[in-house]
Amino acid sequence: MNSANMNDFSMDSRSLAGALSAKLKAVREAGFSQITLCAEDLVGHPDGVDAAVASVQASGLAVTGFQATCDFEGQSGPLHAFKLDLAQAMLCLCQALRCPLLVLPASRLPSDTDDAHAVVRGLRQLAMLAIPLNIKIAYQGWAGGARVQTYLQAWDRVCDADMPNLGLSLDGQEVLAANTPQDDLLADLEMLDPDRIFLVQLTDLLTHAGQPLRVLPGDGAHHEALAVLVTSLHGLGYRGSYNLAAFNADYAAMPAQHVAQRARGSALWLGQDVLQRSVPLPNQIRLRRSLTV
Amino acid sequence: MTAATLITPGSDREQIVEGDNPLGLEGIEFIEYATAKPQALGQVLETMGFKPVARHRSREVLLYRQGGLNIIVNAHAKGSPLSDKPLISAMALRVRDAATAYRRALDRGAWGVPTHVEVMELNIPAIHGVGTSRIYFVDRHQQFSIYDVDFTPIPGVDQHPPATAGLHFFGIVQYIGNDRSEDWTEFYRELLGFQPLPPEQRFGILPKGCILRSPCPSASRFYIQLIEPEAGVLDVEDDEGLHRMGLGSADVLATVAELSRRGVEFVSSISVQTSERGALSKTWLGSVSFEIVHDVRG
Repeated sequence: MNSANMNDFSMDSRSLAGALSAKLKAVREAGFSQITLCAEDLVGHPDGVDAAVASVQASGLAVTGFQATCDFEGQSGPLHAFKLDLAQAMLCLCQALRCPLLVLPASRLPSDTDDAHAVVRGLRQLAMLAIPLNIKIAYQGWAGGARVQTYLQAWDRVCDADMPNLGLSLDGQEVLAANTPQDDLLADLEMLDPDRIFLVQLTDLLTHAGQPLRVLPGDGAHHEALAVLVTSLHGLGYRGSYNLAAFNADYAAMPAQHVAQRARGSALWLGQDVLQRSVPLPNQIRLRRSLTV
Repeated sequence: MTAATLITPGSDREQIVEGDNPLGLEGIEFIEYATAKPQALGQVLETMGFKPVARHRSREVLLYRQGGLNIIVNAHAKGSPLSDKPLISAMALRVRDAATAYRRALDRGAWGVPTHVEVMELNIPAIHGVGTSRIYFVDRHQQFSIYDVDFTPIPGVDQHPPATAGLHFFGIVQYIGNDRSEDWTEFYRELLGFQPLPPEQRFGILPKGCILRSPCPSASRFYIQLIEPEAGVLDVEDDEGLHRMGLGSADVLATVAELSRRGVEFVSSISVQTSERGALSKTWLGSVSFEIVHDVRG
């Protein structure tokens, strides 16, 4: 098996237990070239943020995305000012990591204003802050969001905000949990602009006491649905990264190396069997999009 | 349509929207270079017809001027050491109300720049621009100027030297990364009211990239030209920054002749040739060049 088949996949640090250095080592040793990080990975480093950033850069891993759970959009007044400061700090961390993508899960806070445009205005503001830093914003609907709970709702807000560096983070869990018929799913996905899907988060699901448990692709009960999702996105033209984002108490109790190796199996299954990627030639070069279209 | 929208005469028949000028933008107040070699840059500027007219009260900063063009040469290192290669570190925009412009920009997602003023100096609000550059907002340009407060005139020097061959500010060229034209177009459109020109509308002899027109009145209108890297096979990381100034001239060939007499050399190659449309100076100090663009100002 060749690790070049894994170039489209990143490992989410939240899937792994332990300190940042242990996570980086495990991900690297499992053959990944990309990782997705969150603020806790950096601010929790015993030697501080600068040391954390240095260790990420020394690992050789590219940071695909930076998760910023800051409940930013939809607020006003002093709360908005507070959240703005937090969001700016997140962008600075993202820039320090040389990470091109800030992933923004929809805010858990109910809007404190009657202004229906507050969410869109907030998204525009955040995207504008990101432009000089050359960072894209991937907005993600999720079940915990107060106003935006699905990727279609998130897509509507992205379209309303209409910023060139604002797009979508699509969480596979939502698709699997909804159990949408394949034709309807395809119709929904066709509403999206594949160039504005900046990240796809992949997870499989197991049901435990009526609650969904996020597990790595291949560890769950939704192989077929997951394969349909990935091939559908590929067919629509999505060529971005897939982030393996499965976190649960069981993975948190395992050594990071063990979980990272399981994630390697997920990536190879998705890359070889589902997407049927050919192995790139050594010393591959990436053509610019404008030249390859 | 906002109250700031300009509508041409004849609006009783048809509405021809010229575009918003939300900040009351009225042109460029100054361009600032940062360099560890201010004297070397000063020589370049003097060759281009600028004269040193004033010094900053508290910092190693000089003001050069010709006609309506002001250039600040800043050798005052703020933390990290300055490069020997001069860098365009700021542009200052004349606006109707600097404080309002600053707050409006912050509301729309600009990064504010903390200012560090000394006693009796002006607090000029600024936002972050491309790279490490800043965009200042200046509203004191009619009754008295910012230089009256922060600068001391150099004794015996004409404070308002005439422009060489009618040179005036035309624009600024900004180098950007791959696929970044849309981002920067939106940045300047949303924060400052710039509008992209159609691809067929070009100036000078270097027509590449995307040109944004400021919403200023025609007498002080200027342009920002966004240029992505040459199309190549490798998708590389790209530095972004303000690259060169464009100076307008009603008679490019006469201006080039005058500047050549002063010692300015112009690029003459297969792809770049001086013509009635424009000219490009050779590069000094590894980073400083000026583009002359045909532009008639009333």
